[in-house]
Amino acid sequence: MLSIDEGAGGIVVVSGRLDAAEAAAAQAFLDRRDGTVTLDCAGLDYISSAGLGVLLKTQKRLLAANGKLRLAGLKPHIIDIFTYSGFDQLFEIEPAR
Amino acid sequence: MDTTLQHRPLSTQDLEAILDVTKALAAPFDLMTMLGEVVAAAKQVLRAERGSVWLYDEAKGELVLEVATGIKPVRVPWQSGLVGACARSRRIINVPDCYADPRFDPHVDKASGYRTRCMLTLPLVDHKDVLVGVMQVLNKVDGVFDADDEALAGALAAQCAVALQRVRMTAALIEGEKMRQALEMAREVQMSTLPATMPAVAGYDVCATFRPADLTGGDTFDVSLLEQGLLLVLGDATGHGIAPALSVTQMHAMLRIAFQMGASLETAFVHVNNRLARTLAEDRFITAFIGLLDPTTHEVRFHSAGQGPILRYRAARRDVERYKPTSFPLGAMQLASLRPEIRVAMEPGDILALVSDGIFEQENRSGEAFGEARVTALIDEHRDQPAAALLARLVDAVQAFADGAPQADDMTAVLLKRLPRPVAEGAFERRFDVIPALVAFTADAFARLGIDTRLLARVDLAVEELFTNMVKYGRGSGAPVDIRLYPVDGGVELAMIDHGVEPYDVTRTPDVDIAMPIEERDAGGLGLHLIRRMADSFEYEYDPQHRDSRIKVRFSVAGLAGRRP
Repeated sequence: MLSIDEGAGGIVVVSGRLDAAEAAAAQAFLDRRDGTVTLDCAGLDYISSAGLGVLLKTQKRLLAANGKLRLAGLKPHIIDIFTYSGFDQLFEIEPAR
Repeated sequence: MDTTLQHRPLSTQDLEAILDVTKALAAPFDLMTMLGEVVAAAKQVLRAERGSVWLYDEAKGELVLEVATGIKPVRVPWQSGLVGACARSRRIINVPDCYADPRFDPHVDKASGYRTRCMLTLPLVDHKDVLVGVMQVLNKVDGVFDADDEALAGALAAQCAVALQRVRMTAALIEGEKMRQALEMAREVQMSTLPATMPAVAGYDVCATFRPADLTGGDTFDVSLLEQGLLLVLGDATGHGIAPALSVTQMHAMLRIAFQMGASLETAFVHVNNRLARTLAEDRFITAFIGLLDPTTHEVRFHSAGQGPILRYRAARRDVERYKPTSFPLGAMQLASLRPEIRVAMEPGDILALVSDGIFEQENRSGEAFGEARVTALIDEHRDQPAAALLARLVDAVQAFADGAPQADDMTAVLLKRLPRPVAEGAFERRFDVIPALVAFTADAFARLGIDTRLLARVDLAVEELFTNMVKYGRGSGAPVDIRLYPVDGGVELAMIDHGVEPYDVTRTPDVDIAMPIEERDAGGLGLHLIRRMADSFEYEYDPQHRDSRIKVRFSVAGLAGRRP
């Protein structure tokens, strides 16, 4: 299951599993955001290519409007996915502290 | 003058005499005493000087005169002389003057110095009309034997015949009992060498059964964990009686000793054969399977000395491979050279079945044999059961088949089963909304099979990526996708089978160029790219017969640390 919500200070908090089953819901939520969006990923346990696709599409849209998507609090195994896919080059990433 | 046996009325005095004799004849149990009693009774009742009893040896067709204990008996063909004539006709022969009768043989008189005047020869026939022998009484004290004597002798003869037959049958029974006891002892020795418990071998389930036939049979088996591996032996010695039981016991011991002294399979086989060739009787030999399992490489190496067929059930194909003997039976002759051993690679779920003739050849009441096909069908039917349960089913099936027909030979079987790989299996409809079910399946499989949970996210990713590909590209197929998870050393293996589809080798799709600028990137091909980066191995196989795409992916804990950008 995935939960994606507005957190304190305009941060978007995502947790659970961002997989093919949840991608559409996540996409719909992120499509409503503009500017620089920070995604708190501390609770994100899982991401597949479908989830990466959501983030990529969002990043492209925000960059085109001079905004961006920042990812914070990623767990090491999620960072692995970003590294293997080269997505670590496409996002500003802050690992979990 | 020949007279048919008839029971004329006897005088009270005569009757008393015969009753006394009958009482006397009830007592003795050994033949010589009984013969003495019979002759004494005849002499007394018929007032004769001498008497003798010839016993009929039906097997040899001879009449035998037991003279005294320890002295070789006199034997004559049962047709010859007065005794012969009496035995054949079963009539009393009364000869008042022996030297006037051409059937009389004067040799005995010459040897003993005794002169036979007159003689009454009477058949000893028991109440079942069986000829027991012939009795002769010689030289009536005061004249010759008359018709009254004949009648009296007839009544006496009947008593004597019954008494003698009783003693002979008792003797035969005692002899038979001695044989039975000796056989039982040999069988006990034979069975005492069989292992009482099965050794524990990691990854294997081994079990044996031995069902002795009542009388004959010379089966043995051995299952023993040695330095060379797990020793498996099934032996069957030819012949009936005590000898086969003793010769298999000998072979069993020789093999144990040879292997315990460090002999190789070939050395043990050749030496035991050559030793048995020297010690076994010319017409004896032993068929035997002698094999060694290496539980780490899962290879069984064996020689079969005329023992066969050796059956290996292949779990993956659900069929049976048969192996023929590599040599002639043990002990048949010296071995000059030996063919190469047979090597069998035991796959998970495979069953090696060593089965003795007693099972294959057990007949039912119509004379039909149990046969090999029934054995293999049974193994297939009960392949998932533990070896002990499978053996019990086999024995039950043979007994049910026999349906009361006697067990003619020992029944022995040894089953070696390589344990199937533990597996979690699921079949999933090709729809995107089953993804939560996939997640639940993998989590449950990891917990149940004790797989390291650090690998769960990677397995989930592979399952999801491959499954969504199958849903997207395999629309022509309505069959669910089979997913299996196996624990392997240090990790996990995932197998996914997509049925009824065109071939598409997912392992050969091009890598994503991760250096491209973001404007040119999309998420296409990322799933397979990620699997290739994270998996230890990623294999694709297409089965054109079933139109199945089979994908195998392995992940290891060691692979978690590695970076494969």
